[in-house]
Amino acid sequence: MDLESTYEIDRVAGFISARAFRRVALQFPDELLKDSTRIVAALHEKLRFFNQLHTGSNGDAKDVRLYVMADTMYGNCCVDEVGASHANADCVIHYGHTCFSPTSTLPAFLVVGKASLNVPLCAQKLCEYTIKAGKPILVLYGLEYAHAITEIKASVGTQCFKLEVRYADIMSPVITPSETFSSMNGEPELCDAQCANGCSTEENNASYRIGGLTWSLPVGHRMEDYLLFYVGSDDSAFANILMTYNTCEIVRYDASEDLLVNEFSQQKRILKRRYFLIEKAKDASIIGILVGTLGVAGYLHMIHQMKDLITRAGKKAYTFVMGRPNPAKLANFPECDVFIYVSCAQTALLDSKEFLAPVITPFEAMIAFGRGSEWTGAYVTEFRDLITSSPMEAKSQSEARFSFIQGGYVEDVEQQEVEEVEDGVTALVNITEKALRVRDKDSQTLIPGTAKSGAEYFATRSYHGLDIHPENNFPEPFLIGKSGRASGYKNETTEKSL
Amino acid sequence: MVKFTAEELRKIMDYKHNIRNMSVIAHVDHGKSTLTDSLVAAAGIIAQEVAGDVRMTDTRADEAERGITIKSTGISLYYEMSDESLRNFKGERNGNEYLINLIDSPGHVDFSSEVTAALRITDGALVVVDCVEGVCVQTETVLRQALGERIRPVLTVNKMDRCFLELQVDGEEAYQTFQRVIENANVIMATYEDPLLGDVQVYPEKGTVAFSAGLHGWAFTLTNFAKMYASKFGVDETKMMERLWGENFFDPATKKWTTKNTGTASCKRGFVQFCYEPIKQIINTCMNDQKDKLWPMLQKLGVTMKSDEKDLMGKALMKRVMQTWLPASTALLEMMIYHLPSPSTAQRYRVENLYEGPLDDAYANAIRNCDPEGPLMLYVSKMIPASDKGRFFAFGRVFAGKVSTGMKVRIMGPNYVPGEKKDLYVKNIQRTVIWMGKRQETVEDVPCGNTVAMVGLDQFITKNATLTNEKEVDAHPIRAMKFSVSPVVRVAVQCKVASDLPKLVEGLKRLAKSDPMVVCSIEESGEHIIAGAGELHLEICLKDLQDDFMGGAEIIKSDPVVSFRETVLEKSCRTVMSKSPNKHNRLYMEARPMEEGLAEAIDEGRIGPRDDPKVRSKILAEEFGWDKDLAKKIWCFGPETTGPNMVVDMCKGVQYLNEIKDSVVAGFQWASKEGALAEENMRGICFEVCDVVLHADAIHRGGGQVIPTARRVIYASQLTAKPRLLEPVYLVEIQAPEQALGGIYSVLNQKRGHVFEEMQRPGTPLYNIKAYLPVVESFGFSGTLRAATSGQAFPQCVFDHWDMMSSDPLETGTQAHQLVLDIRKRKGLKEQMTPLSEFEDKL
Repeated sequence: MDLESTYEIDRVAGFISARAFRRVALQFPDELLKDSTRIVAALHEKLRFFNQLHTGSNGDAKDVRLYVMADTMYGNCCVDEVGASHANADCVIHYGHTCFSPTSTLPAFLVVGKASLNVPLCAQKLCEYTIKAGKPILVLYGLEYAHAITEIKASVGTQCFKLEVRYADIMSPVITPSETFSSMNGEPELCDAQCANGCSTEENNASYRIGGLTWSLPVGHRMEDYLLFYVGSDDSAFANILMTYNTCEIVRYDASEDLLVNEFSQQKRILKRRYFLIEKAKDASIIGILVGTLGVAGYLHMIHQMKDLITRAGKKAYTFVMGRPNPAKLANFPECDVFIYVSCAQTALLDSKEFLAPVITPFEAMIAFGRGSEWTGAYVTEFRDLITSSPMEAKSQSEARFSFIQGGYVEDVEQQEVEEVEDGVTALVNITEKALRVRDKDSQTLIPGTAKSGAEYFATRSYHGLDIHPENNFPEPFLIGKSGRASGYKNETTEKSL
Repeated sequence: MVKFTAEELRKIMDYKHNIRNMSVIAHVDHGKSTLTDSLVAAAGIIAQEVAGDVRMTDTRADEAERGITIKSTGISLYYEMSDESLRNFKGERNGNEYLINLIDSPGHVDFSSEVTAALRITDGALVVVDCVEGVCVQTETVLRQALGERIRPVLTVNKMDRCFLELQVDGEEAYQTFQRVIENANVIMATYEDPLLGDVQVYPEKGTVAFSAGLHGWAFTLTNFAKMYASKFGVDETKMMERLWGENFFDPATKKWTTKNTGTASCKRGFVQFCYEPIKQIINTCMNDQKDKLWPMLQKLGVTMKSDEKDLMGKALMKRVMQTWLPASTALLEMMIYHLPSPSTAQRYRVENLYEGPLDDAYANAIRNCDPEGPLMLYVSKMIPASDKGRFFAFGRVFAGKVSTGMKVRIMGPNYVPGEKKDLYVKNIQRTVIWMGKRQETVEDVPCGNTVAMVGLDQFITKNATLTNEKEVDAHPIRAMKFSVSPVVRVAVQCKVASDLPKLVEGLKRLAKSDPMVVCSIEESGEHIIAGAGELHLEICLKDLQDDFMGGAEIIKSDPVVSFRETVLEKSCRTVMSKSPNKHNRLYMEARPMEEGLAEAIDEGRIGPRDDPKVRSKILAEEFGWDKDLAKKIWCFGPETTGPNMVVDMCKGVQYLNEIKDSVVAGFQWASKEGALAEENMRGICFEVCDVVLHADAIHRGGGQVIPTARRVIYASQLTAKPRLLEPVYLVEIQAPEQALGGIYSVLNQKRGHVFEEMQRPGTPLYNIKAYLPVVESFGFSGTLRAATSGQAFPQCVFDHWDMMSSDPLETGTQAHQLVLDIRKRKGLKEQMTPLSEFEDKL
């Protein structure tokens, strides 16, 4: 397939010139970076052509400036608005795999690319499966295969018509921030898991949306009634679908190998492991909120909502911005018992086996910290859906909480706070009492306690920074430290030059 | 039919000298529940005729079905004693009415936590021993537990009917058997003697041993017979009692007592002559339906039968006659009232065991004096599921003060620390209830010295707790119970319908509450795990979970899962090094196995993180041959800061070392919880920090760099020190006749068990076998054993120790390797172990 059609040069150029953007950022994932120069050249060509078409004259209007962005801070699938704003861009053209997360400030155009697919083979497999299944089929696909779906549809239509086959549609590649906001407020019930009771009544159809795909089911039908047929590779988009529709029967058609895969025990395991993480999070007293996106619409709202949730659960929250998390980065904050990763749906599921503390999604946090809420098996990854689901009342339950991690009932902090407000004197007495408690200073052995805040954690550490010797309080003579940058301090560069 | 009312019962509760709190304890199948029936019958709660068959205290359907007791059941009984029977009672009393709070406990070792809970709230114990089987494993265990709680025991030699009907042994032989049973029991009691409790051994001649036949509802102590004969011989009762036991012989021909058998045919031991033979005669006469002979005999004994009872034949007649002549309740009650302490007596010496706080404060004094006017001190020892599903009665004992309906109480949970607010609630008691047979009666209040059930506290009491008055903020809690068994058998459960998950979660919570021994937890893989003391225990738990706590929602259970431990065999073959992610820091470590017995010492809490370092280094130096200075350099214990592994600092003169200590400890806690082989806990490994190279800038040696590195280097040192798996091993005790031994040995062999002790019980055809059996192999063991021995052998399994598996888990094809792969698969880990090269770095 040639560059022109794979990367939809025409449409992109059309989009840019139609909206008269002057500065355009092109965002590439690492694997497509090699094509970037050719794409830029082709786009320039095309834009110039369009320009001529519109203005009629040769060099009248200014050229559109294109910026290539690579190595995005968070996941490749999200539109990097911060990066684009460094170049003062008016819009972002995003290439490659995308999660269709709405943007907050910049309009964006998503180019998903096209992967090759043997249409007859795929259609045949689909037919065979349909006949065998005896249930209506819903066809979902990886976005890179969207271009072939109409062909498959036609091909299948001629081959078999016994059973109902529905196809998902791909959403418009154009994302404008205002639109996403309206959609967010306008159709609040448009969330995956809750549509079973037939919302969006104006069409008598329940519509669903996940990762750029959208489809609707006739009223009275539930997702569980359908078999999902997924065309595409085993990537994060598919994992997202598996998690969200964990009650449905799913089969995946692998286009590159021409295979049907329906063994997903590993994924089922992941779901169970997430459940374990939720239970673990319930025991946490200090929680770190990791900012995993600065672009996806509503992320700030989400962070605030999380903070609120955590405070109401009587726990302590700290917010961290650290790019893509890795074990070494997170282990710098050993006081955090659990981290919440606020990011787009497809990067949120982080396998935190190698991490000191587990990393969970906002949805899981809501189950863990919202008292009285329990996991029923439904799973929501996109936090757009979480925002709309009204913040639950953290009603104080009188019974002690049962911790499955410790295998018994445990006491939560919040309960003690509820009981009574101490008056100033008793509070003071309590603090003095704590301060005056004898501690064995000589003991070498550490007993990490359960801290309720970062400061408390620090107090229980054996090392509090440099030792201060009160008997020898003469100031040390001052020394001139290193200056310059860590990659090469000033004294080092001089050495090298010598 | 019930001979007493709640009002009467309540009245007695105030007479603290007229109360006896006692539990019935014994080996499984020695007849506790059956014997209890006789006592219950005497109180009129069930009919005399069915006593022995009803097993009144086995309230659950499955208990009745299996014929074993699963839960301990409390029952309050009221008796009015005759003046005659109390004539010799020297202690304090208020009138002739007595209240017996009796708790029937299970005998199966899997349920011994129930026994613990029962013992805590009673002052005396009726130890039941089968006269044929003798003192068994569980008899010893429960006796030990009882004495540990300062519970005074009395003994009854049960199943006397077997002597007469089954075995038909003659008097002297029977006497020898009984003598041995009593001796064996006394040996145990002497071992655990306690100066405060005084002499706890039992003596028939002092009336602390009864002889009973629970099934037939009769029993006697030597007192009964002594009374009968005292006047005849013209000696006082105590003298007579002495003559009826031990080396005292009587020759009816010469009418003389001797201390040696004179050898003449008519010379017989006092016990045989005056107790055993008459009973034997009566039984034989009844069984042979020789009624013409029977009536005169009975008349002589002063036993009158009702006319309709005279028509009975054979066994029924015998039962009735014996019940009338030697009613079990009278003998046992007398024994209890005479020889078991009243609460006011018992609490005087038990207070030390019970109260955690200073022994001279108001609360200790109130307990000591059993003061109903003092502050409330109440210990809740178990939660009993109520008839309305999901709710529980809090069942316990009032040690001081009074507890009343509507009272506001402070609930101090097991984690409560005086002066803090952790695990503390102030709540109202909705109702106080006493148990009268199968019914519960609400009463206004319950004074100290009694057992009580309370409604409305179940949400705040998790398993056990101490209750006191709302205002008593200075009270310390009553010491928590220690259980003698540990939950080692685990099974994963999930619900058949995924959406039942909330039901399952709720059910598991309730299950955990109803049984102090069961542990409900969750695995890393997200599976819900129920851990119990044994197979039978788990079976009962699962049944309860499904039927009672989940409303019948279906659950799927996995095969039993056994947890292993990871350890090392030798010292690491070399010092291993790992670099931090930024390559600027290096940790050098070695692993070595701990000295023998050290891991156990840590388990028992003799050595732990909170010790005084001086004491600790003394123990380590003296018992385990540690260097004194080294003992001071223990950084931490793990996993969970108290586990049986540690990190020791062996480096010299390393800069910034104290700065990374916290990070290394964090890495160690993590790694010791999930070992390198199969992510099982580590056990018995000592990690030595040999050298540390750190970056000069603090920013480059932060937790982020050091924690993951510490974990990696710990794994590397584990893998270089010949890692091994430890498997849990049961101590199995089996009692069986000789002909079953072959079957037992073959089953044990087949299950990798090995016998280390085989002993014939003197005077019986029974053998006592002690063996070690890997827990993994124990599933279905009882069944196989029963099949192989045609039901003659019954094993009791208790977790004993961890045993190292000799094969190398790193070598493909070995048993240990296969096990590691299986565990990894179950946990959803990568099938292959991570190789050493992933953890170790080269310079």
